[in-house]
Amino acid sequence: MNVKLQRIVFSVVVIMWAAVLLYFYGSGRIVKYLAPDFRPLALYGGLGLAVLGLFVLLTSGEKSSCGHDHSEGDPHDHEASDMNPFTSMALMLVPMIFAVANTKDSFSLAALSRKSLFDEPLSNNVFLAEDLPPLTMADIEKTHKKSEAGFYEFNLMELYFAAGDPEMQKLLNGLKVETEGRLVMEKENNEAGNRRRLYRLFITCCAADARAVPIIIDFGKETPPSIEENVWVKISGTVIFPVERGTTQVILQSASCAEAEAPWEESFMRNY
Amino acid sequence: MTGEARQDFAFAFLSILFEGAPFILLGTLISGFIDIYMPPGMMDRFLPKNKFLAVLMAGLLGAVFPVCECAVVPVIRRLVKKGLPVSCALTYMLAAPIVNPITALSTWKAFTGPVVMIYGETVQANLVMTVSRMGLGFLVAVLLGWVVARIPMVWVLRKRLVDELKNEQPDHKAIEHVHACCDHDHDHKHKNDTHACCGHDHSAQHTHKHEESSHVCCGHDHSHDHTHEHKPDGSQRIVAAMRSAIKDFVDVGVYFSIGIAITALFNTGIAPGAAWLDSIANRQILAPSALMVLAFILSLCSTSDAFIAATLDKFTYGAKLAFLVFGPMLDLKLLFLYQTVLRKKFIFWMAVGLFATILLGAYYFQWFLNQQIVP
Repeated sequence: MNVKLQRIVFSVVVIMWAAVLLYFYGSGRIVKYLAPDFRPLALYGGLGLAVLGLFVLLTSGEKSSCGHDHSEGDPHDHEASDMNPFTSMALMLVPMIFAVANTKDSFSLAALSRKSLFDEPLSNNVFLAEDLPPLTMADIEKTHKKSEAGFYEFNLMELYFAAGDPEMQKLLNGLKVETEGRLVMEKENNEAGNRRRLYRLFITCCAADARAVPIIIDFGKETPPSIEENVWVKISGTVIFPVERGTTQVILQSASCAEAEAPWEESFMRNY
Repeated sequence: MTGEARQDFAFAFLSILFEGAPFILLGTLISGFIDIYMPPGMMDRFLPKNKFLAVLMAGLLGAVFPVCECAVVPVIRRLVKKGLPVSCALTYMLAAPIVNPITALSTWKAFTGPVVMIYGETVQANLVMTVSRMGLGFLVAVLLGWVVARIPMVWVLRKRLVDELKNEQPDHKAIEHVHACCDHDHDHKHKNDTHACCGHDHSAQHTHKHEESSHVCCGHDHSHDHTHEHKPDGSQRIVAAMRSAIKDFVDVGVYFSIGIAITALFNTGIAPGAAWLDSIANRQILAPSALMVLAFILSLCSTSDAFIAATLDKFTYGAKLAFLVFGPMLDLKLLFLYQTVLRKKFIFWMAVGLFATILLGAYYFQWFLNQQIVP
């Protein structure tokens, strides 16, 4: 293939990648995909790709020289590609365009079920607690706001990890708390249909490594509110830690549950 | 594919792409500039004369000349032809994609967050994985280098390459000519005898012209039809470096794109076999073996593969380590690239050796981590 045409093809590919990175960053949708410390890298990567692509495109007809010899015994070529440039273009652009056209910036419940949405809570995560001073109720009161109705505001992660921490369980058992997350139907141990599962995602680096952080919501004798599956809710109730199916569960006996706006940062992020 | 499956695939695919693309760009920019600006004979000047030490040093050269596994094969082909010992060249070839700052940075970033217990202390997983990956990669490459140093070159290199080296050797011995005037090597073969005076190539395909009229360095006539100049201006080299970088980016990007597509299918449970892969995630031997096979098929770039390994969250760190060390040393695309330099039989035995050694290393690593868990 004509080497100039190859440069133009490669430039188009790189500029398209740059455009997608910059669009997702600029539109703010990047927050659904990457942990905060990766987001600036996506911006720099997008800008770098744009510069590279435009530079090669604008100089595609110019003379260049590497400054070292290319004799017959040393036939290396700085621009010889592994495959036909149009094949490369198709392989790099088709999946990306397909993905951009089909993404909804979130996983379906089927994918989330592979990401521990319906798994049992962790049974032991106290090894970190050994290094910390004993936790008291005063600490909890100091670090958590109390609503007018008398519920302590907890994030879902704290409640979830309490399942593996007897010290936390002792303090939280019977406490009135308020938290938020997405509400879905509970699959196990829900013959009466009065249980739901509340979850948020925890992202380490990118959405592909996300894991669900769920707790069980028990509406008891009340009829669960008719809220669409996977909608964000604010929920308050009393937290308990019964042993079910051989595992300590975190169950919030709900007092109230209402649809709520999704927080700006929907997922929990590492170090944030 | 159902609507939900498309949505899941798209979300996972884009998230890994956004995470890895900046690192591929960084790697290919550096490799593009090295490709153009590094004089061909520079690397062997770093190596000591002692074979044992030279192999050790070759395993560390990637820290100074960082290249990914795709770029390293053409580089070592040239280095071998320039007289670099085969053992050192192969050590560099295997180690450089792993023991280099860009790979270290991407591994560090990908595993940031979780902690592991080592000797009763909590240690960041990114530190453990980065150090283990570089350590095991270096160790395996050096071991192979020492083995290669003890076997004849004809068992390792392609016959054609060996023949070329043999043919060139007398010329090399005759041509102990230092080109102080032009600061790069001219040790390639003469096509005819007309330039025996200067000891470097002015063959039909390489007709260059020295800038100075008085050639004190070689004392020969440059008035014949030499057309291009030794010293291109800076902008021409930058253009060449950027073109080399974009070519590398696309070459790597193709495999990255295919790799993340397959990973996204497994990650979201769409791919057949995803459930089976999950079911073996905690098996001591089978899990690292399966991930090494996956690394072989995915053919990812070492500058970005850590982001994929980190998403294999059901697998142990030992299995992920096997993935991260084996992939840059042997994968589907490398199998084809290696054949431009190495004999098929040697590649087969090298593959077996790499697989077994890395499996052993990963197994020991996981065993060590398991010992640290307080019952």
